[in-house]
Amino acid sequence: MKGVQQLSSTISAVRMGDLAVSANNGVLRTLLGSCIGLALYDHTHKVGGLAHIVLPQSRDSGGPAGKFVDTAIPALCARMETLAGRSLKPTARIAGGANMFSTTVIQTIGTQNIEATVRLLGELRIPLLGRHCGGEKGRRMSLDSATGVITIEIVGSDPIEL
Amino acid sequence: MTTQHENVLSIEQLDAFRIAFHEGAAEASTALGQWIDKPTRISFDVVEQLPLEEATRVLGSEGEPICFCVSQMTGRLTGQLILAFSDASGLALADVLLNQPRGTAGVWGEMETSAALETANILACAFLNSLYRAFPADPNAASELLPTPPRFSRDYAASLIEFAVMAQVIESDHVLVAQTEFQIDGDPVDWTLLFVPDAESMMTLREALRDSR
Repeated sequence: MKGVQQLSSTISAVRMGDLAVSANNGVLRTLLGSCIGLALYDHTHKVGGLAHIVLPQSRDSGGPAGKFVDTAIPALCARMETLAGRSLKPTARIAGGANMFSTTVIQTIGTQNIEATVRLLGELRIPLLGRHCGGEKGRRMSLDSATGVITIEIVGSDPIEL
Repeated sequence: MTTQHENVLSIEQLDAFRIAFHEGAAEASTALGQWIDKPTRISFDVVEQLPLEEATRVLGSEGEPICFCVSQMTGRLTGQLILAFSDASGLALADVLLNQPRGTAGVWGEMETSAALETANILACAFLNSLYRAFPADPNAASELLPTPPRFSRDYAASLIEFAVMAQVIESDHVLVAQTEFQIDGDPVDWTLLFVPDAESMMTLREALRDSR
């Protein structure tokens, strides 16, 4: 996990294109722009995972599993189940997909990321319980793996629970 | 789509680009010195290709809010030119430009924001003028290299970098970021000028630098 940094004893940072999992303790955190933060959480077994997804499709181009929607979601599910040692029934929440610079390319990518994530979650029958997407501002997304609470922070605004 | 290998500049190409970038930063620094009427010089400049997961660290503390003025590059090269700074150093600049005692500006009002935007505009124009001369235009290609009027915002440093590199990430797992820091009146100031070309401009740069392989 090259893109995961331990910020403190309880907080791990997930960087662009990476993913991380945690069970019943600790906070997974990522900073988002036009990318998508995908949080999966199994409330019964208190296992969570967070991916910082950059692009909608891998097209077999290689790169880290967390970079693409089609590789990140299966990889995150597999890692969570490995950590739990059993099959899980996670629910999902997503955030990100903003367009700070108002460019067509980034807007298109952000929209495609959201659409591809929602579509694949549907195909995998993972309920999507919340989303906080779009706009022009970056977001800090945190998943508390002990409670499943997801917090979204935006500079200049009060934090919200997703 | 090009391959990952084709998207990475060689060491020789990076060196050649570093020279062009240094000249651009020097010209921008001179323009800034004239604008604020204080001696200004480049203290440090970096041109590097970073793996995706490291790119968001270029401005230091990723989770801290920073201020920035963003111009889009138009013409021969496209992408973003960003002047990033802390609240304190940006407001100190406003004090200098508004000819008021240091510490007077405490919040980002209309005058303070306008001072930052005008500074970013001057830096962007000077930098791109120099870069334009360093990469002579193909007669068949767009010949201009101009910045759009900058926009001011405050956001997380990592989010800003993510937005900026997004148009390169489409083609590569590595991103090219050119970065300059400044000294004003002999003191380092917490400003950074970032040049982040998009994927199309990376192809233009590779073509322009092909003799440096």
